[in-house]
Amino acid sequence: MKALILVGGFGTRLRPLTLSFPKPLVDFANKPMILHQIEALKAIGVTEVVLAINYQPEVMLSFLKDFETKLGIKITCSQETEPLGTAGPLALARDKLIDGSDEPFFVLNSDVISEYPLNEMIKFHKSHGGEASLMVTKVDEPSKYGVIVMDDSTGKVEKFVEKPKVFVGNKINAGIYLLNPSVVDRIELKPTSIEKEVFPKIAAEQKLFAMVLPGFWMDIGQPRDYITGLRLYLNSLRKKSSSKLSTGPHIVGNVLVDESASIGEGCLIGPDVAIGPGCVIEPGVRLSRCTVMRGARIKRHACISSSIIGWHSTVGKWARVENMTILGEDVHVGDEVYSNGGVVLPHKSIKSSILNPEIVM
Amino acid sequence: MVISQDRSVAVIMVGGPTKGTRFRPLSFNVPKPLFPLAGQPMVHHPISACKSISNLVQIYLIGFYEEREFALYVSSISSELKVPVRYLREDKPHGSAGGLYTFRDIIMEESPLQIFLLNCDVCCSFPLTGMLEAHKRYGGIGTMLVSKVVAESANQFGELVADPDTKELLHYTEKPETFVSDLINCGVYIFTPDIFTAIQDVSMHRKDRANLRRVSSFEALQSATKSLPTDFVRLDQDILSPLAGKRQLYTYETVDFWEQIKTPGMSLKCSGLYLNQYRYTSPHLLAVGDGTKSAAVIGNVYIHPSAKVHPTTKIGPNVSISANARIGAGARLINCIVLDDVEIKENAVVMHAIVGWKSSVGKWSRVQGEGDYDSKLGITILGEAVTVEDEVVVINSIVLPNKVLNISVQEEIIL
Repeated sequence: MKALILVGGFGTRLRPLTLSFPKPLVDFANKPMILHQIEALKAIGVTEVVLAINYQPEVMLSFLKDFETKLGIKITCSQETEPLGTAGPLALARDKLIDGSDEPFFVLNSDVISEYPLNEMIKFHKSHGGEASLMVTKVDEPSKYGVIVMDDSTGKVEKFVEKPKVFVGNKINAGIYLLNPSVVDRIELKPTSIEKEVFPKIAAEQKLFAMVLPGFWMDIGQPRDYITGLRLYLNSLRKKSSSKLSTGPHIVGNVLVDESASIGEGCLIGPDVAIGPGCVIEPGVRLSRCTVMRGARIKRHACISSSIIGWHSTVGKWARVENMTILGEDVHVGDEVYSNGGVVLPHKSIKSSILNPEIVM
Repeated sequence: MVISQDRSVAVIMVGGPTKGTRFRPLSFNVPKPLFPLAGQPMVHHPISACKSISNLVQIYLIGFYEEREFALYVSSISSELKVPVRYLREDKPHGSAGGLYTFRDIIMEESPLQIFLLNCDVCCSFPLTGMLEAHKRYGGIGTMLVSKVVAESANQFGELVADPDTKELLHYTEKPETFVSDLINCGVYIFTPDIFTAIQDVSMHRKDRANLRRVSSFEALQSATKSLPTDFVRLDQDILSPLAGKRQLYTYETVDFWEQIKTPGMSLKCSGLYLNQYRYTSPHLLAVGDGTKSAAVIGNVYIHPSAKVHPTTKIGPNVSISANARIGAGARLINCIVLDDVEIKENAVVMHAIVGWKSSVGKWSRVQGEGDYDSKLGITILGEAVTVEDEVVVINSIVLPNKVLNISVQEEIIL
């Protein structure tokens, strides 16, 4: 079985993190975002993953080479020379995806994090016998998204309504598809939207079916949602494999700590914290609702909440970092400095307090 | 009475409760003159400067606070200095010259040749010995301490002009609208007993005018001083201005620090200036420590002997910690005054701030000011018994007494 992951472009919404790495390689819960998807695909027997990408394919491939052997899965890139929208990349990768077996293939959006119930999706796809399946998720404010109107008992999709002004339903496209090879025949090699141009036609032929995604779903393409996504992810991990989460008197709620990271005496960590490989958390540190990425050091008595600490950054003694502070790679916050929502580009040193949210170039 | 004995008395003007409203919320709990700077009451600094005066026979505090508010302090300082200290309570404000005049009989009991007059709310090194030498050399009825300030700020004070050679006071004007001089009045004086005659003259003259005014309503409307009672005599406008240029008043310039302590922000600055002066005058009051057996101390720090400071803390520069305060493990204090019975919990940070009596700052909390002593919210102030809960951040704010903060605040006055 094969799968296509839509990686897309520069990931500008997740800057300054994406100034150092392409978005799929930005760590989420201690591993690159795209590995969450690749591992889920591997787990249900996918043998080849194609990455639809238009930016830095070399970086991606050299990074993923290690994982090809480790996971025993083939990873290739299909590079767009111009943006092809959400459907065009399928046509571009046609030769990689279609091998005459007539097996359906997965399409995943790389910004999305969820529990990936892919086996259930295969069962669902076989049961309805249509041409395409997609996952939908319920949201509180459907007017921001494309809403899918469907028959709740059969799952048959009736129509797509983009950003509805009047309530038509609360189920939106979750960005996870299982498609028969015939779908690719419907797509021309040009910029095309799968939601606006391809799916509505399949739906009109009554061959498009949707299942409600069990568990959580989050588009983690921007910092605020990234931090919320971590909470949902760790919460789901608690239910599924809680042994991966840390325990102890210094831990509050769900905390994921890489085994190569160290935590000093008198710290209080959690809830909703991820501490990546090689991180050093010195004594007396307080961490909550935050991600500390690979190689970062948090010095004594610092306090961090609702923030992302980029790779190899340091936070000084008695520093306070909070309110959606995002430190890019190799950023150094001085001792006793306060950052209230500072967004700091890579390789900067912060020596005086940032009292209100601002971007430090 | 032995005339050859060159006796002096000192008078410290401490004001009263209706003054010093700019010192709120700290003045809700303690008379401003007793607010601690560098671990000692504000008034203690001018008083202890008087120790250098030879043949000092009495120190008087004059103000209109209740007597009991000063009773404890007055008795303890008397025994410490081995000079009798007395609090003289005015029934109402008389102005600084009027206050002095009210108690002229008491002040003159010991027949002093010199009367030192010091304002309590100025912060300086009080170079009284040098001043006294100069005063005797000049031979006038009074010598005032003066200081050069930047021209832009001079108009907040009494501006004056002195003869560059004789140091005689030539011209004096209080808080002028236009620039007169960058030389200002420091609020520290030495007078001979003749000052009482000068004050009496003003008072008598005013009484005469008051009588005249009853027949001339036109003049009453015109006069700016019409509402002043006859026993209210200001030192600056009523004595210094008219006597300037009459070879009676002289100036002595200090090149040391000088500040006026009107606001809580300035009290933090002045606490630092006094701590720095301890280096030269009382180095034993300054804390030392390298973070092994006791806290790591940076720069000038005062820690009251009864305060408990954990050895893993880092304190300074410019920190003053009062009695029974508890500073928990891993806390960090920078440029702050921590008052009696305060608790700073583990890993908390306090910088550019004043933490009021019995307040508590929670674990990993942060109480921080920008460090601008002149702006209203430049120093964060917690009034008495304020609780900052764990992990809460308080930035550039003033918190009135008995509040509990469970969410972070910035640039706010919390009533």
